[in-house]
Amino acid sequence: MNLFLYLDRDSPVHRLDPRTKLFLMLGSFGIAVLFTAPGPLLGLLGVVLGYAALGRALGNLRRIWVLLLSIALVSVASWSLFVRGATPLFWRLTWEGLTFGVGSAIKIDSMIISGLVFLSTTKIEEIVLGLIRLRVPYQAAFAFSLGIRMVPTIIGTAVTVTEAQRSRGLDLERGGLLARARTYIPLLVPIFLHTLRNTDQLAKALESRGFGAQHERTSLLEIGLHARDAVALVAGGLVLALFVLWRFWL
Amino acid sequence: MPADRPKTTRVIRLEHVSFRYRAGREPALRDLTCHIRPGELVGLLGRSGAGRSTLAATLNGTIPHLVRGELSGTIRLAGEDIRAKRPRDLADRIGFVFQDFEAQLFSTNVPLEVAFGPENLGVERTEIARRVERCLEVVRLSRLVHKSPAALSGGQKQRLALASVLALEPKVLVLDEPTSDLDPAGRGELLAAIRALRAERDLTVLMIDPEIDELGWVDRLLVLDQGHLALEGTPAEVWDRSAALDSLGLKPFTLAKLATALDCPGHWPDADAAARAILAAGWCVAPGTVERLQAGDAARRPGEVLLEVEDLRHRYPDGTEALGGVSLTVRQGEFLAILGQNGSGKTTLVKHLNGILTPTGGDIRLRGRSLRGEPPAVLSRQVGLVFQNPDHQIFAERVWDEVAFGPRLQGLTEAEVGRCVDEALEAVGLAGMGDVDPFILTKGSRQRVAVASTLATKPGVIILDEPTTGLDHQELQGMMALIRRLNEAGHTIIIITHAMDIAAGHARRIILMEGGRIVRDGSTRAVFADEERIRSLGLMPPPIVQVGNRLGVPAVTLDELVASLCRSTTPPLPHSPGSLP
Repeated sequence: MNLFLYLDRDSPVHRLDPRTKLFLMLGSFGIAVLFTAPGPLLGLLGVVLGYAALGRALGNLRRIWVLLLSIALVSVASWSLFVRGATPLFWRLTWEGLTFGVGSAIKIDSMIISGLVFLSTTKIEEIVLGLIRLRVPYQAAFAFSLGIRMVPTIIGTAVTVTEAQRSRGLDLERGGLLARARTYIPLLVPIFLHTLRNTDQLAKALESRGFGAQHERTSLLEIGLHARDAVALVAGGLVLALFVLWRFWL
Repeated sequence: MPADRPKTTRVIRLEHVSFRYRAGREPALRDLTCHIRPGELVGLLGRSGAGRSTLAATLNGTIPHLVRGELSGTIRLAGEDIRAKRPRDLADRIGFVFQDFEAQLFSTNVPLEVAFGPENLGVERTEIARRVERCLEVVRLSRLVHKSPAALSGGQKQRLALASVLALEPKVLVLDEPTSDLDPAGRGELLAAIRALRAERDLTVLMIDPEIDELGWVDRLLVLDQGHLALEGTPAEVWDRSAALDSLGLKPFTLAKLATALDCPGHWPDADAAARAILAAGWCVAPGTVERLQAGDAARRPGEVLLEVEDLRHRYPDGTEALGGVSLTVRQGEFLAILGQNGSGKTTLVKHLNGILTPTGGDIRLRGRSLRGEPPAVLSRQVGLVFQNPDHQIFAERVWDEVAFGPRLQGLTEAEVGRCVDEALEAVGLAGMGDVDPFILTKGSRQRVAVASTLATKPGVIILDEPTTGLDHQELQGMMALIRRLNEAGHTIIIITHAMDIAAGHARRIILMEGGRIVRDGSTRAVFADEERIRSLGLMPPPIVQVGNRLGVPAVTLDELVASLCRSTTPPLPHSPGSLP
């Protein structure tokens, strides 16, 4: 099972410089935090989905739809209950609470999808190169990429450990809150120790491949800002401007 | 030791090297002196804890720079004392391939993985591109340039790791158990790549491999014991030292043991040579052997039907079909081995048998009752599954608590739990070790703890996924003896293994899997006799079986083969002439 998000395809989004994609992602985050009403956020979701389609990354949505759906449900349910408003619907629910909940759901999901497009269309090595060009020190940029790389490894370990303990009769759905917290100890200890050992191995493997040697580092990959990046940034800037107008002048 | 030569003819030279890990009580290396000549291919053998990996780690500065401890003596690489150098400073001179291929690949695609090393050393871009292309060609991965390393098979991953080290153009290559986690096909691919490499460039290779039968083709063998050099010589020289290897707790060459048992002189590089030599020495197959062996098999009566798997299908959420209709009946008291390449569906199949995975099609019945909807918490009392790596499950601070985990979850009283745990520890040979911290035990003992903790829930069926990976010869023998005892005590045993000699020597029934399907299911004897079929699946019968097949004897162990032969008074008859070149 491949747990990495990157899709090795050719698309206009793939061909963009990682820095451009980083700015586009940050722009979408900026729009998302401007609004609470579902209307404009739905507009943002449309733009983000269009961007995902352009980057041929819609297929990856299928892999995280459970996450997106559960975030949406939890968000609608909790905000509807906690946010009070003037227009009662039934029981404790109000129209304001419901719209805030729906808005938050779309907001968070849009941000996740935007991040997903970035990771689906940009190699980790490109992200590192992009960060270096943005003057982030190489060690820091590489540590970031290693962090991303470790996530699937840790998930893989967690799956195996859970299966092994369930094989021994561990029932994760049994008991009250305290009992459940205790059932996680047999999972957390092996996951933690295994990850620690793995990290140790990784450090040895990295050094034996010359990582951190006293040389100017070169790169097989080449990145650069081209005309298409200018087009993408201008388009992204226009979309951002439109949403800012919507927020403050409409 | 050969006569002294000028120092420049030794690419690696260790003099009086001792090392003790910071946390270790005993030194891991004791006054070790050895050398490797340029262009040599050296195999390094030893029990676990003998110092093999420690020796390797001193060669590129991992010891003492990444792993702390007390190091003394001199270590020279091409004449230069390297003790002050860190691994990264030696990366372009000595390359390392590790056992765990997951932990040494960190890139998004195949070419970038190979480029990572030269990039770190500041090699110019066009030169990196050239090296990437050439190194991928050497390991025959050129056609997979667009794949993500995560999507490769084990053998391909390990060859990629090799290519990414070669791209640094080192003069010396150290491989630390590179084939331990590979299936036989992957192992063959990696060894072929190493052979091709040696033909192409001037490279010195040191390879740690626990399996001496895989090292018959090296130039020289070094055998470590308790941190010092116990034995060295060419494979032909070590061939005659079976007794010495035995006393060091190591496995001698299988064919050498056969030669000794048959009192045949000479060094047999492979099964063909062995069969020819055995016939030439006047041995022939005793009359009635085949019938006798088959009658022996038929005399074993399996019990009642226990597990029935019917058209089992499993599709992962991402759409890949892992099992495409598997049907299988297991009877009480059987000992069966499931063989197949990585990714053939072996582990997925057994995870269904204790409810960890739910079938997406078909059904499984245990004593006639469908497992559908049965939670693993309940099933674990009937079908125990021991995972491949004990470290995926050990969490307690005492062996006793670790083993008590399952029985306690069953809600037994502490007195009953105590009885189960004591019995289980007794069965695996860890009686009296209850208070020990499992994390300080050796891999073999941790594996025993894992078996004990499954055994403690008293399941009728015990499934073991690769129970011998990472164990040395003695630990492996102990583990297999344990599994055999459990089988004799009435447990039904299912093992998954890449170790063909273990399958041949212990299992009575073999299931061959390929692409999520069972392609052969039969007695061990019958399945291994069909050598062509086994090879077509990327597997390989063990040496003894190969020799037997060439002589026309369906023997699965050395003792069986020897008992099947007798001295002929007349010149030997050609038995299966077709299989002899």
